Amino acid sequence: MAINQIKPDQDARHMISFDQVNKWYGSYHALADVSANVAKGEVVVICGPSGSGKSTLIRTVNRLEQIQKGRIIFDGQDIYAPKLDLNHFRARVGFVFQSFNLFPHLSVLDNIVIAPVNVRHSRRSDARIQALELLERVGLAAKADAYPGQLSGGQQQRVAIARALAMDPPAMLFDEPTSALDPEMVGEVLQVMKQLARDGMTMICVTHEMGFAREVADRVWFMDQGRLVETGTPEDFFLRPQSQRAQKFLSDLRSH
Amino acid sequence: MITDIFHILQDNWLLLLIGQYPNGPLGGLAITLLLSVAGLALAFPVSVLLALGRISPFAMLRASAAAIIYTVRGVPLVMFIFWVYFFVPLLIGTTISGFTTMLVTVVLYEAAYLAEVIRAGIEGISRGQTEASRALGMGYGQTMFKIVLPQALYNMLPAMVSQFVSTIKETSLGYVISVNELTFAANQINSTLLTKPFPVFIMLALIYFVLCSMLTQLARWLERRISKRRTGKPAISTTAVNAVTAAA
Repeated sequence: MAINQIKPDQDARHMISFDQVNKWYGSYHALADVSANVAKGEVVVICGPSGSGKSTLIRTVNRLEQIQKGRIIFDGQDIYAPKLDLNHFRARVGFVFQSFNLFPHLSVLDNIVIAPVNVRHSRRSDARIQALELLERVGLAAKADAYPGQLSGGQQQRVAIARALAMDPPAMLFDEPTSALDPEMVGEVLQVMKQLARDGMTMICVTHEMGFAREVADRVWFMDQGRLVETGTPEDFFLRPQSQRAQKFLSDLRSH
Repeated sequence: MITDIFHILQDNWLLLLIGQYPNGPLGGLAITLLLSVAGLALAFPVSVLLALGRISPFAMLRASAAAIIYTVRGVPLVMFIFWVYFFVPLLIGTTISGFTTMLVTVVLYEAAYLAEVIRAGIEGISRGQTEASRALGMGYGQTMFKIVLPQALYNMLPAMVSQFVSTIKETSLGYVISVNELTFAANQINSTLLTKPFPVFIMLALIYFVLCSMLTQLARWLERRISKRRTGKPAISTTAVNAVTAAA
């Protein structure tokens, strides 16, 4: 029986698999039969009109949103397995929010150190060294002792990325990471994300940055009304969109 | 009148300050402050638990916390004092002093009020904070005690100082069960002097007023400091704004 249940989507090459995922808010069908795989090391950009379920979909991966039907496999693990330690599992999924959500009462360094110390029970001194390395990586080593309120939006988002990376997650999820930023700060955050992608991180990014999608994404997923309407390479998606809905979305995007 | 007050103060300042201590029990302002500080300090952990109960995901806990809070908030303090005064000795089978009665009353009463302040503080912290913490793998307890409560309590400091001011004034009701706090001491002086009720009670009012307005100032100062730290920029004080407008 156990053997029968292993489906092709539990392929070891896949980091994240969505299998017939459904979610409702009351009678509103927020996610409808979403099935797709993200391979290890792959960068997926999800785009689509607002309200199409993009953010909801990635929020289901670390169970910030519950699903009512279907399965999600993360790194070979069914995330709704009854024996799953939810906190331990979540610590392995890096998540970056649109509104940064740094902890304003903690210094930049403590924002990064808090999870390793409290969840992984790392020694504080080790966590500090790792945090400083991560800050170096996102170009903010000088801000270790600053408070989030003293940083620009772009700097805050880079700290938030460092904070997520501190748990050494095998995959990172980005929920519109640049939407809350002033235009001149978008570049610095995308730069960090591009570097991550080049380093082989598995990533799902919900973003409206089509330039980023073209340059970095391995695949683009187009969502509309809770459905995964179309997937393809950036080139195919942007030059030869198959569905009418995607064609309209792209032409709307270009006319602005 | 002012000379009267001055003379009464001159003759009785020690009684007002510490009661008959060391020849008798501690009293006066010392007991008022002790009741308020100990009352609030003991009420604080109770109020955090009540607040957590109020927003708990478990309906049973929510209902019981709400029932306790609404009951306490729904009765006058004097009546609550009488309840504790008559029922607690029955409950524990031994008489308790007026001070203990008043302390128990203050703790229960303040906990109910403080719980609502803390609940408001917790609900004022954006959902994103909890989500970010949970997404990092921190559990409910860690999220609450390391992320949400530190911010909520910090934001609610001014409200908590206000609650402390109320507590100071409420301890004066200890008079009805002969707790020898400040009001009791003033009344003792009044009974001795017989002919000077006005100066005595104006003096009493002034002592409460000075104490409470100092704490209210502290609350306002805290509020300014907090808004300053939250924005990460020096907050513009109202006096500075007035100066600028006047100059313009």
